[in-house]
Amino acid sequence: MNSSQEVETRDVLVIGAGIAGLQASLDLADQGRKVTLVERNPSIGGRMINLSKVFPTLDCASCITTPRMASTSHHPLITMRTYTEVVSIERVGDRFRAVLNKKPRFIDEQHCIGCKRCEEVCATYVPDEYEHGLGARKAISIPFTNAIPQYPVMDEKNCILCGACARVCPTNCIDFMQEPEEIVVDAGAVIMATGFNLTPLDAKNQYGKGMFPNVLSPLQAERLLAPHGPYGGVLRPSDGKIPESIAYVQCAGSRDKSLGVPYCSRVCCMYAIKQAMLLSGSLPMADITIYYMDIRAFGKGYEQFFCSAKDMGIEFVRAKVGRITEDADHNPIVRIEHQDTGIPEEVHHDMVVLSLGMVPTWNPLADGFVSLETSNDGFITSTSGALSPSKTSQPGIFAAGTALGPKDIVDTVVEASAAAADATAWLISHEKGNGNGR
Amino acid sequence: MVDNQNSGEEIRVGVYVCHCGGNISDVVNTAEVAEAMKVNPHVKVAKDFVFMCSDPGQNLIIEDIKANGINRVVVAACSPALHELTFRKALERAGLNPYLFEHVNVREQVSWVHKGYKNDATQKAIRLTMAGVEKVTLQDSLLPNSVPAEDRALVIGAGVAGLRAAIASAGAGLQVTVVEKAEKPGGRVPDLGVIYPSNSSGLEIVNALLDEVKTHPSISMLLHSEIDSIAGYVGNFIAKIRNCESGEISAVRAGAIIIATGYDNYTPADGEIGYGHSPDVITLPNFLNLIQSQKKDTHELMHNGKAIRNIGFVHCVGSRQVEGIHPPQADGKVNDYCSRVCCTSTLNAIHLMLDRFPDMNVYDLYRDIRTYGRGHEDYYDRASQRGVLFFRYTEDGLPEFMADKSGRGGLLNLTDTLSYDEEVSIPVDMVVLATGMMPRNISNIISMLKLPVGADRFLQEVHPKLRPVELANQGILVAGTCQGPMDIGESISAASATATRAKILLAHPTIELDPFVARVDENRCDGCALCLNECEYTGALTISESEKGPKAVVNPAICVGCGACAAVCPPRAIQIAGWSLDQFDAMVDAITA
Repeated sequence: MNSSQEVETRDVLVIGAGIAGLQASLDLADQGRKVTLVERNPSIGGRMINLSKVFPTLDCASCITTPRMASTSHHPLITMRTYTEVVSIERVGDRFRAVLNKKPRFIDEQHCIGCKRCEEVCATYVPDEYEHGLGARKAISIPFTNAIPQYPVMDEKNCILCGACARVCPTNCIDFMQEPEEIVVDAGAVIMATGFNLTPLDAKNQYGKGMFPNVLSPLQAERLLAPHGPYGGVLRPSDGKIPESIAYVQCAGSRDKSLGVPYCSRVCCMYAIKQAMLLSGSLPMADITIYYMDIRAFGKGYEQFFCSAKDMGIEFVRAKVGRITEDADHNPIVRIEHQDTGIPEEVHHDMVVLSLGMVPTWNPLADGFVSLETSNDGFITSTSGALSPSKTSQPGIFAAGTALGPKDIVDTVVEASAAAADATAWLISHEKGNGNGR
Repeated sequence: MVDNQNSGEEIRVGVYVCHCGGNISDVVNTAEVAEAMKVNPHVKVAKDFVFMCSDPGQNLIIEDIKANGINRVVVAACSPALHELTFRKALERAGLNPYLFEHVNVREQVSWVHKGYKNDATQKAIRLTMAGVEKVTLQDSLLPNSVPAEDRALVIGAGVAGLRAAIASAGAGLQVTVVEKAEKPGGRVPDLGVIYPSNSSGLEIVNALLDEVKTHPSISMLLHSEIDSIAGYVGNFIAKIRNCESGEISAVRAGAIIIATGYDNYTPADGEIGYGHSPDVITLPNFLNLIQSQKKDTHELMHNGKAIRNIGFVHCVGSRQVEGIHPPQADGKVNDYCSRVCCTSTLNAIHLMLDRFPDMNVYDLYRDIRTYGRGHEDYYDRASQRGVLFFRYTEDGLPEFMADKSGRGGLLNLTDTLSYDEEVSIPVDMVVLATGMMPRNISNIISMLKLPVGADRFLQEVHPKLRPVELANQGILVAGTCQGPMDIGESISAASATATRAKILLAHPTIELDPFVARVDENRCDGCALCLNECEYTGALTISESEKGPKAVVNPAICVGCGACAAVCPPRAIQIAGWSLDQFDAMVDAITA
């Protein structure tokens, strides 16, 4: 591994460049704080840049995320470290020393002009993570249209080393021998904005274990609805048919002890309602049904959003889905018991979306020098509770957004600004303590 | 302010039409719009692109400015409210005056509203974009107005949100003044008793916050004091504060104002589920007090001298109301929103009650249980385990309470959807109504500062994701339940977020304000003062004597650029910078061409 000589001295290290990490970084940098923002994916933007439109305003997600991404990348006080993982963090006095591992993209970032010619000539297609497997990308590719930075990444597992990309590159910047690089950051505070994962699509035997092509995850459904999505419209994956009947199965990954996820994931009701509204916009003739236990439209404007979905003709059926099977044409069959009547029924749909829940993701501090307390649910523990929600078991390390449990974007953005406030107060109090106040 | 550095040079306009990832291009032929601009001799470059707001999109503009000498920019895209600033910053990065830019809205005003008419929509987009070209062609470079700023935040309200906002603002290095109407700080939280999900006491939380407030040298608190008046503008607000006892008035200068005035509890209508007709029907806040005030040695929950053994809780009282079913509030509207906290708060109260009086029979009547937060579901789960019986009603079958003739207790009747719509009558000794949150009456502050209020009557933020704790009035921030129902942790996060915003706003000794304000051509102004009558903003316009006689003078910090003055000025002497009458003429010509 190559090791850069200089230590990056910063006020704050922000881990994760989703909407929480972007907001916290901008808030700190706008107050004159130097920030290193680490993201393990090739682009900043997190989960949000992957969504179609967002509730309750139905703004397009890109429209809200891209300006923050652009501001972050242009901010003179923010050092963006993409495709980079945190190896360890240790406490040195009042400060933190973090070791980062910058993974090789196998291109020379100094000279890459983002022209995409390498991507055009690459002959190897692999499933596109950004489209959640619904589309394909090349083995060397820029992750998505509005990715930042606009560098391609060579996927070493799938590259066949044919060399076509290297031959076509106008700046000769393909580097098959590139090594990982070690970066050391010395920071006064850390903000964990590490986000969430979805509960797996294949977790439940009763719901087909992920084997039915027309039973989708909600992020796949987001991509179908996105204006620049994989199929350019809403088509079902098995045969490209326009679905006429679509069902949402609520609490498919939450409030379910058999999955080890007894808690409510807080966003699934609202994203299902939102997707149902968007579907009925793009497929006006389709029947859309939401099978649910409780509709949890608790946020500002959410109940009104729920009511307008009912007015649009989206059918809300109080029923727990017991089982999903499919017929020979891959039409999902949903077995429900109506809560109002107790009568079981089997309903045929063209497509089903499982409203999966949120589980914790990458915890770079799990085995490091400093470790953070997590709760039964696996998310980082907020040790001061309501008094100071962003504080963790490690003084000087703060958390925001879904790293602290399931949360929607509105609450995440507010929490990120709150974590920035807590980090600022921590930095100022330590600067004073050391007699080198600003 | 006008900076004439560009006068005399050749005008070279670049036009960029955004697809908005299909939001626009699915309806509007963006390539055709770009192509149509080229007939205008000033347009040197016209392009369309998938996301103009993305980095690659912005780089298109920057490269054209640098390489092709573009010195005026038009972007036809979403609403300027979303991205006007984004593109101005891009111009700045390219070294161009950021105001030599026009943002044309072809999404909200074209593609979203003319979905079925692609051809007509494209024609409309062409006209609007051409109007933008004509306008920017007549645009001068502008410089923002710089005004000095006080590095003090004025926090209105000393509940948990106000206290946290004060601590976080002071923690970021600002001076803080907190004003509280009541004699004691702390707001409503101390009355809540044991709070969820931490199982700590509300009083302890408030005391912890108060300890920090009292020991922080940058925070001063004015208790039992009211806002008498507020004037000024971002960076320079002046609040007159009246002491409620002495009547004495003191003045506070502040650069930003954080509103943390909190909520009111919903008061049920007369007879709503028996409320007001039976002493055994009480609200959840009353019930929390009742639990806390039980004598130490009692083995049964006592109310009005009798033991309560069977108790019913009814959710969604005053929340999720439906027009035509629920009685309206004084303003004729119903509370159609969810109050967010009542589900878990009710279950928390049930647990606190069962901890002391485990043998009680508890009936919980709900529409949807919304235990959404971290650790909340556990309250619901444990309630079932402890034998709480749940019944579910719908909005068109509200529960009713029939008081017993004895005057004690009665029957709680509902159609229960959990038992296949069975009509259920539950004999209870007491009913607790889980009342929701209402916006507090702060009409004096709202009218003094002309604050925006939403359809739900709570203060309305600019945008829930882009600017969640800011009001449209620059420099005025909103923390906690005056914005909408939220729990303690959420209020505190919002409060901390306001401190971040205040600190960013007041980080420098001066603030830059938009230059789109009225300006007076002294040679044309004859001092007729017609403009003064039209101006709604006190201090924005004055008439003062100059060597050439009386002339209108603008205070650019107070002027909001509404243009009321420009509309009445007979000699066209007063105009809005960036929105001159010549520009309007040119735009109208382009649209009607």
